[in-house]
Amino acid sequence: MSLFGFPQPKQWKGKDLPRVLSRLFDVKDGHTLAVAKSHGAYSTISKVLFDRAPFQIINEVMDSGLRGRGGAGFPTGMKWSFVPRGGQKPVYLVINADEGEPGTFKDRMCLMRDPHLLIEGMICTGYALGVRTAYIFVRGEMLPQIQALNHAIKEAYDAGLLGENIAGSRYSLDIYVHRGAGAYICGEETGLINALEGYKGQPRLKPPFPAISGAFAAPTVVNNVETIMAVPWILTHGAKAYRQWGTDKSPGSKLFSISGDIAKPGVYEVPLAMPYMEFFELCGGLTGELLGCIPGGSSAPVLTAEETKKTTMDYESLAAAKSMLGSGAITPFNTTRDPVLILQSIARFYAHESCGQCTPCREGTGYVDRVIDSLVDGHGRDGDAEFIKSLADQYEPMTTICAFGPGAAWPVQSFVTKFKSHFDAYIAKNPKHADKRDLVTVRPGAFW
Amino acid sequence: MADLITINVDGKDVQVPPKIQLIEALRTYAKVDTPAFCYHPDLSVAGNCRVCLVEVAGPRGFAFGIACHMQTAPGLTVKTQISSDRVKWARRGVMESLLVNHPLDCPICDKAGECTLQENYMNSGRHESRLPDDAGKQYKGGADHRFTDAKGNDRGGKKIDLGPTILLDQERCIVCSRCVRFMSEVAKEPQLAIAGRGDHAYITTFPGKPLTHGYDLNVTDVCPVGALTGKHFRFQQRVWNLKSVESIDPSDAFGANITIEYNNGRVWRLMPRRNPAVNKSWIANSTRLLYQQLAVNRLTDARVAGVDADLDAGVQAAKAAIAAAKKVALVASGHGTVEDNAALLALKDALGDKSEVFSGSWLAVGKADGIALSGDPVANRAGLAVLGLADNLDQLAQRAGEFDALVVFNHDLWGADAAKAAKLEAIPARVVLAAWNDATVAKATVAVGIRAWAEVRGTMVNSQGRIQLMHACPVLPNPALEPAWQVLAGFAGAVWASEAQAFAAAQARAARLAGLSYRAIGPMGAVLPQPALAAAGA
Repeated sequence: MSLFGFPQPKQWKGKDLPRVLSRLFDVKDGHTLAVAKSHGAYSTISKVLFDRAPFQIINEVMDSGLRGRGGAGFPTGMKWSFVPRGGQKPVYLVINADEGEPGTFKDRMCLMRDPHLLIEGMICTGYALGVRTAYIFVRGEMLPQIQALNHAIKEAYDAGLLGENIAGSRYSLDIYVHRGAGAYICGEETGLINALEGYKGQPRLKPPFPAISGAFAAPTVVNNVETIMAVPWILTHGAKAYRQWGTDKSPGSKLFSISGDIAKPGVYEVPLAMPYMEFFELCGGLTGELLGCIPGGSSAPVLTAEETKKTTMDYESLAAAKSMLGSGAITPFNTTRDPVLILQSIARFYAHESCGQCTPCREGTGYVDRVIDSLVDGHGRDGDAEFIKSLADQYEPMTTICAFGPGAAWPVQSFVTKFKSHFDAYIAKNPKHADKRDLVTVRPGAFW
Repeated sequence: MADLITINVDGKDVQVPPKIQLIEALRTYAKVDTPAFCYHPDLSVAGNCRVCLVEVAGPRGFAFGIACHMQTAPGLTVKTQISSDRVKWARRGVMESLLVNHPLDCPICDKAGECTLQENYMNSGRHESRLPDDAGKQYKGGADHRFTDAKGNDRGGKKIDLGPTILLDQERCIVCSRCVRFMSEVAKEPQLAIAGRGDHAYITTFPGKPLTHGYDLNVTDVCPVGALTGKHFRFQQRVWNLKSVESIDPSDAFGANITIEYNNGRVWRLMPRRNPAVNKSWIANSTRLLYQQLAVNRLTDARVAGVDADLDAGVQAAKAAIAAAKKVALVASGHGTVEDNAALLALKDALGDKSEVFSGSWLAVGKADGIALSGDPVANRAGLAVLGLADNLDQLAQRAGEFDALVVFNHDLWGADAAKAAKLEAIPARVVLAAWNDATVAKATVAVGIRAWAEVRGTMVNSQGRIQLMHACPVLPNPALEPAWQVLAGFAGAVWASEAQAFAAAQARAARLAGLSYRAIGPMGAVLPQPALAAAGA
């Protein structure tokens, strides 16, 4: 248990911590329907949901300011509002549980400890969007989580909470669990839809966006597990109550998965806009002297110790620090760690996971990986840090179909600029480091 | 045609049709040369090579977009390489990425000279690699085809046998997916796939299954690099030495547009020529390999009574045989051009009542495949109808006894149906003009060699009623060979100066050809008016 940070402190600095998502995380057998119901699961459906019109639910979620928790932070209510109404085609809801961002392990916790909250959230969302069939796309490796999820879905069907006429209403919903094959890129929504349809998990060209033509060429909403799990609470307690936490643009609470040089790594639910240093205290304190912190999963640009101390855990503050909240995976590392080796590991991950469609990302991620490898092996030359950055620059500004390119470039760009002295130390190990590489010049008369 | 709309390219307003791909608008209407590897006008848009990147004005300022996927819409504002350094920078980055794992084997690559990668590499101007030696390349390829080269580098597969016609050099592949899309969208048999991902993605067939399809050689054309090469053309010629003429598929009534490429007194290959209204960019393997017959088993001289003779002697013997006959059967040929058949009709006029023209073919007609073959092996069957010739070849077989001379050109009657043709052996004088030593030549009393389809200029009418022009490739097995129309006009006692005069003779007989000229037909052909309309016009 302690590995995941539970039991969590109920209070922090005299204030109750939010338990929107993690209510049952430290309850024994919280994943079973009986225990979950005794703690109030499905109360939203029995009390609130069907008294309201779908548009009221969308408006409530829009008012709450809930933002997508998968990484991009797109306002959820706005995403729902893009779905065309009354079309010929069915609307699909797809839950993105393909949690693959290195450092992130919050969704597996949700599926394991409280799958009924996800199902409840899916029923609320499905009702709001007129969904008859919903899918949960789960990363294939998460076997115990899938078993827990399947068990919960079966229980829900048996209790009449899924299938025809949910809880005596006129609304019906079926949920299918689809196991992915563990590709990182299937967490990208169109890559996920491709994989769901049985194709290779490669992102699609946009437009059309999934809200217009997604799974099986029908309007599709893809939401993260955590996003959907916040919906029942918002509907029960109201958008205003949700806004008691966080800031105007980043309201509510969020699950953060913290690992690295920290005393008690794990999943924590805290209000948004908590300062990073305060959060580290909550997690038992840092071990060693902070050197830097990856604030939102491996693709988020790294923060130096000074930047970390100034930053709070919300979308705007991190945007101001030129990083991002991402999936909420926080990895602080201390001065005993080597940022070059951290970047080598991250670069290898992205070179391995690039789907292989767009040239800049397909070839560029591997190029960066090999250059960093050669640098670590002692073949570095002066100027290689800039060289590596210039390679990453090529796939950063959305020159690719999906956001994998930028996501793979940000850590490279930020590590080589913010920890340049560490890279220079590796370069200095090469006795021939002063030998200049042939610099690339553009020949006169180039056509473009 | 819908009304044109205005888009802004590099600060200039350009009139373009709405909802066409931006890359086509840039190339055709704005005259901005836009490179592409994965985009192909006759395939779906994959948008993965990213080299057609342009900057497009959006709500948050100019952002990168790909010209192949974007469609023209009113008010679209685009910056290309002409006005944007960022576009140049991004494209150079794409080119660097494409080349980083591409072997530098242009000197031994068949595609060199017509390689999109090579062209754009020259255009991009970034000529030196900045890949550190010690970083090495990631060679593409499946585990089965990996090997270690003399320098100890891990290499992708070379010369992988994909099937009876195609070899794959995996390390040259830039994963544009054109071949995969061709096989699934045009050939409708998805036999190729991309396996793996990232820079280790590679093209492969399904395990244990070869690439075999009647159109699979088209993947060598769509391949923008030298990864897929046809076995028939591998290491044959450097493409920049080849000269080319435009022609038409002579083996099928669909009339797929082709290019004959020749050099050093030999035809080396036939390539598809894009005609959006006919064969798009595709030709069948059977069409593509027709060139292999051009130098094989040719009737280069004449043969009189089974004895080889020179061409003049053959022509004299043929003229004598026709003059001596009381009743001559003239057989028109759907394998010959409109001009050839016009010359045959001129011969009929010269001979007057003692001759009769028969037309048609005994070859079986198959089914259209919807790509570049109609299934009808008689290429100019519609041209015979345009000249007013009825399909009455069976009558000739029944009434063979009435005739004492037969004139056949470009028409292998015995090869098409030996049983029916056997009845023609009752005709004592059989004059055959043929390009090949075929079964009909074997039965001829006088056989005169003529030029084959690749060596003549003329027109054919395809199954869609489109008249198309074929040009003469100057590679001849015997320079003295004449086209059929010239020999036939000679039989009629006429001297026609050129194909144009033969075509004029055809126009005099066919109202549907009125008003046309070779120039008007042009490289894309011209649709003939419907018979009723032509009659009304006449």
